[in-house]
Amino acid sequence: MIKLVALVPLFPIIGFLLLGLFGKKWSKSLASIVGSGAIFASFVVAVGIFIELLGADAAHKTATFSLFEWIDAGKFSVAISFLIDPLSSLFILIITGIGFLIHLYSAGYMHDDEGHNKFFSYLNLFIFFMLLLVLGSNYVMMFVGWEGVGLCSYLLIGFWFKNTNYNNAAKKAFVMNRIGDLGFLLGIVLIFITFGSVDYATVFEQATHFTSGETVITTITILLFIGAMGKSAQLPLFTWLPDAMAGPTPVSALIHAATMVTAGIYMIARSNILFTLAPVTLEIVAITGLATALFAATIGLAQNDIKKVLAYSTVSQLGLMFLALGVGAYTSGVFHVMTHAFFKALLFLGAGSVIHAMSGEQDIRFMGGLKKHLPITFLTFLIGTMAIAGVPPFAGFFSKDEILAHVFEHNKIMWLLGILTSMMTAFYMFRLFFLVFSGQFRGTKEQAHHLHESPKSMTIPLIVLAVLSVLGGFLGLPETFHAKHLLEGFLEPVFEASEVRMLPNHLTHLTEWALMGVAVITMIIVVLVARSKYVKNNEVPVPESTTLKPAHKLVYNKYFVDEFYNAIFVKPINWLSQKFHSIFELQFIDGIVNGMGSLVVWTGRNLRYAQTGNVGFYIFAMVLSVVLILLVNYLR
Amino acid sequence: MKSLILLSGLGVLTLLSEIFNFKRKIFPVVLLGLLGTIVLSAMYWNTNKHYFNDMMFFDNYAVAFTCLISFIAFAWFLLSQNYFNEETNLTDHFALILFALVGAVIMVSYQNMSMLFLGIETLSLSLYVLAGSRKNDLHSNEAALKYFLMGAFATGFLLFGIALIYGVTGSFNLQTIANYITLNSGNIPALFYTGVLLMMVGMAFKISAAPFHFWAPDVYQGSPLVITAFMATIVKTAAFAAFFRLFFTCFSTIESVWGNIIFVMAILTLAVGNITATYQESVKRMLAYSSIAHAGYMLLAILAMNKFSAGSILFYTAAYSVASITAFTVLSIIINKSNNEAIDAFNGLGKRNPFLAFAMTVAMLSLAGIPPMAGFFGKYYLFNAALQSGQTTIVLVAVLASLVGVYYYFKAIIAMYFKSGSDSSPVEVSFIHKLLLVLTLVLIFAMGLMSDFVIRLL
Amino acid sequence: MMIKYIFYFLAFVSVFSALMVVVSKNPVHCVLYLIMCFFSIAGHYVLLNAQFLAAVHVIVYAGAIMVLFLFVIMLLNLNTQSEPHKSTWLKFAAAITSGLLLVILVGTLKGSETMVMPVGNPNAGLIKNLGNTLFKDFLLPFEVSSILFLVAMVGAVMLGKKEIK
Repeated sequence: MIKLVALVPLFPIIGFLLLGLFGKKWSKSLASIVGSGAIFASFVVAVGIFIELLGADAAHKTATFSLFEWIDAGKFSVAISFLIDPLSSLFILIITGIGFLIHLYSAGYMHDDEGHNKFFSYLNLFIFFMLLLVLGSNYVMMFVGWEGVGLCSYLLIGFWFKNTNYNNAAKKAFVMNRIGDLGFLLGIVLIFITFGSVDYATVFEQATHFTSGETVITTITILLFIGAMGKSAQLPLFTWLPDAMAGPTPVSALIHAATMVTAGIYMIARSNILFTLAPVTLEIVAITGLATALFAATIGLAQNDIKKVLAYSTVSQLGLMFLALGVGAYTSGVFHVMTHAFFKALLFLGAGSVIHAMSGEQDIRFMGGLKKHLPITFLTFLIGTMAIAGVPPFAGFFSKDEILAHVFEHNKIMWLLGILTSMMTAFYMFRLFFLVFSGQFRGTKEQAHHLHESPKSMTIPLIVLAVLSVLGGFLGLPETFHAKHLLEGFLEPVFEASEVRMLPNHLTHLTEWALMGVAVITMIIVVLVARSKYVKNNEVPVPESTTLKPAHKLVYNKYFVDEFYNAIFVKPINWLSQKFHSIFELQFIDGIVNGMGSLVVWTGRNLRYAQTGNVGFYIFAMVLSVVLILLVNYLR
Repeated sequence: MKSLILLSGLGVLTLLSEIFNFKRKIFPVVLLGLLGTIVLSAMYWNTNKHYFNDMMFFDNYAVAFTCLISFIAFAWFLLSQNYFNEETNLTDHFALILFALVGAVIMVSYQNMSMLFLGIETLSLSLYVLAGSRKNDLHSNEAALKYFLMGAFATGFLLFGIALIYGVTGSFNLQTIANYITLNSGNIPALFYTGVLLMMVGMAFKISAAPFHFWAPDVYQGSPLVITAFMATIVKTAAFAAFFRLFFTCFSTIESVWGNIIFVMAILTLAVGNITATYQESVKRMLAYSSIAHAGYMLLAILAMNKFSAGSILFYTAAYSVASITAFTVLSIIINKSNNEAIDAFNGLGKRNPFLAFAMTVAMLSLAGIPPMAGFFGKYYLFNAALQSGQTTIVLVAVLASLVGVYYYFKAIIAMYFKSGSDSSPVEVSFIHKLLLVLTLVLIFAMGLMSDFVIRLL
Repeated sequence: MMIKYIFYFLAFVSVFSALMVVVSKNPVHCVLYLIMCFFSIAGHYVLLNAQFLAAVHVIVYAGAIMVLFLFVIMLLNLNTQSEPHKSTWLKFAAAITSGLLLVILVGTLKGSETMVMPVGNPNAGLIKNLGNTLFKDFLLPFEVSSILFLVAMVGAVMLGKKEIK
């Protein structure tokens, strides 16, 4: 099966070509069968490869397959070749597996959209580029995939292109990604200059000869990390991701939660040896990740759009993954990528199902009581929420716990902030959950009448993902359980070189239990708070137009704890998150980004006036330049 | 040489066709003739022939560029097919274009400065007239006059430079001059350097490098669209090939004299071209500025001046010309339809004619340098060549400039797909234009995939 | 010695007349000064032992082309009044720049007077030698220039003829 690796990206591109060329004339069901079928075929091959790798001994866990030489200029040569190793096989499994489920889901979700067939062709193209990114055996191929997924993301965010806001969101995503890409590109150039090659095997082999902390390695890794920041929506380049929710929900699930945004983590995990050799960069990665996680979580507390909440939570979880990478826990980072892919895809698809039932309404203030109407969605969403909040033994618990344990080893304050983040995560996720599913329905009569469970093609993916979210965590049980950490064993060959350079600092079992305990207890408290707030007291976030009336306030006075909690915890953070959102994010960060754009346009506008149309002036400029040139020559 | 004779003969034949009244049949004859030119010159691959006392030297560089120019001319004739249908001075146009091609071929294969001068003048003189060929259009007249005045000025500098160099070395022959430099290094009079710089000014004018670019936007905009396409592709290719040939054979050993100046020129050109293009509303004018910007990228090859330069410049000009021809074809169809060259005319094209919109998108992406289009590899090889010579700064500037470039190329794409225009009627495309667009699209992708093959030619 | 004085005289006349071409307000005067300039340059050719060139120069430039110029100017009835007004700023700038160009060129060429020039055939400008060079060494450029002239003619005809519908 390993030898058939070229088939994995081949199926999606064939699917894309078929859909792109003939899709217009096809019926919707044929298009969805071709689109999903292509991904399913890839998935089958990916599974085959994965099983074969599981059985292989250590020496045969890595294999490279060259198709042909692509670029060959002087010392620089790039081959189209695929690298199969535990890391890439795991990623292709996630991409094709979840990709297939989401294709299936889209068949139901996009059924009434006129761009249905085009949508599938874009999705296939995206999967193709994503596979290219993951499977390439050198940085240039990764870059091609990187740009490709960026393009597809742009196309899909702006899929409903008649809406200007959506277009702006698409443009914003594209521009922000380009900033990151520039860093990545420079990083590749520097890698080539330093190592004389862009091939992973050569680069990593040569990197082992460098000592830790050398400037050039630090520069390379920082540049690569800038690339990762753009793609994986980290501070300060994260604002595009929440806006990207303008795209259809399956897109949010596939691209902006499960796969593309984790490309940055893949890149760092792939280049782990370089990052291990640059402790400074690792520290930057960890701090950026933590800051992003915390920052996005605070914003998540105050959002009322179901997809926005999930978007900020994605940013926050990505931050957590970077935190893991930053403290050198590469396996944990990848582990969390996997579990996150399961439960976040689940949550997004569940949200899609809700939106579908609500006829497009996304504001959680107008939902509520959906438990009765959408039983399957309710159940699966609950599992997803518990998984992300870290309720044992769901998937998120293990991966998050593992990350926090590693962070604890690294730095106690970071751990504390990490716990704070996961508390907030639990809070806003359960707030979302309660507001949507419990209580009374708050929407219009028309919507209430229309409420229905989604079709099978949408619920089956939900169920599969829910099962995965429950079981996924058992791939990486903590040491305390005296079970084998399956994932760590599997990924070992990839991170081998880094691990020998890391301090083997294992926590005692007691500490580990204690850490787990703290995490679980704080989580439970937070969930209870959320429950009392949103279920018992049926609290609903106030509509934007009304301010709190005095009478309204009095009702709340009964609950002293709530008031207290509100005053010292929710309100300041609410305020802060709103301020962050309005001042820091909208004005400062967006301002800088937009400012650069306007600077160019402004210069363009003014430079244009040099083009006066007056021949006399042109000749004057020409002669003046000649004078300057000769003067320079004379003074030389 | 045979190709040169064939082209000149073809030019005379078109003139005769007016007299003997077979001008309706001349279009296919010219197309065949251009294909013949490609074949004839390709036959001379690896022969390295010198002609007439070393006036011309058909090395592989010359052969490759002759083929390229003839091919673009072929594509150009397909593009301008319906322009000629309406034109009363049909044969004059044909003859002038063919003679301009003769000039272009001379410019890529000269070995003697007198030939360089004649080549440039033949090309330019045809264009002065063609730019003004819409006699009733004031803009066209203005373009012709401006081009002529400024061109004459630049020619003056060029000629002055040639004269000074002749004065010092006593020869027009490139090889002799190159030998003179190596024999007398350290002992070369200032007169010679002044000559080199003045020639550089003349050539920089022809490729529209800043600060000698002022003519380009006005002339490109004022000229009839097909003539603009001709100037942006064939003229630019030929002028650049000539520039590079001159400096590579002759002056590569005295880079200290012109290196810094071309460096500054390249930065200026990149900045002016790209930044000013962002503010243009007219697509035609935007393409004019983009063509200035591309001259900036091409200057990198001259700065690099190593064994990779020739190949990368061939690839770049080819990629650039093919993409430009595609863009101009779409633009001409749009202008024919709506009589509007502003970017608004493209609104909703994705709906009105998806094929056209796709072609334009590919052309724009290629010009912007997005993989896997040919344009990306063109930039890539150029940057690579420059990096090999240690020109890191200019590569950084060029990368930044191409980021700015993405902005305005995407304006067109956004207009086509994400905006809806007042006119939503479908756009018809003639068979020949379809054929041409398919051909160029295939080329853009094929050159991206097989970039290696092209780059190894030289 | 005599030749030196003649040279200075001719050089003075050509520079003076060239300046007057630019400065004169009356277009007809401009053309006349230009003719004068051409004659003095032809004088230089004679000094350089290139009589043929001198003769051709006088016949073609001063004779044919300038007469054509005069006709055109008279037909268009250009005069001092119809000359478009140029802004003083532009005049000033132009004067400064061309002055600078002059200074710089002189500066760069300075020091070249002691240079050893490759000595050519002093009789190169005679008809026989010129013909030999033109039809032997420079045969191809000579022939190619015919294409150049053809282009000029076709272009002139094309711009000049009426649009036939």
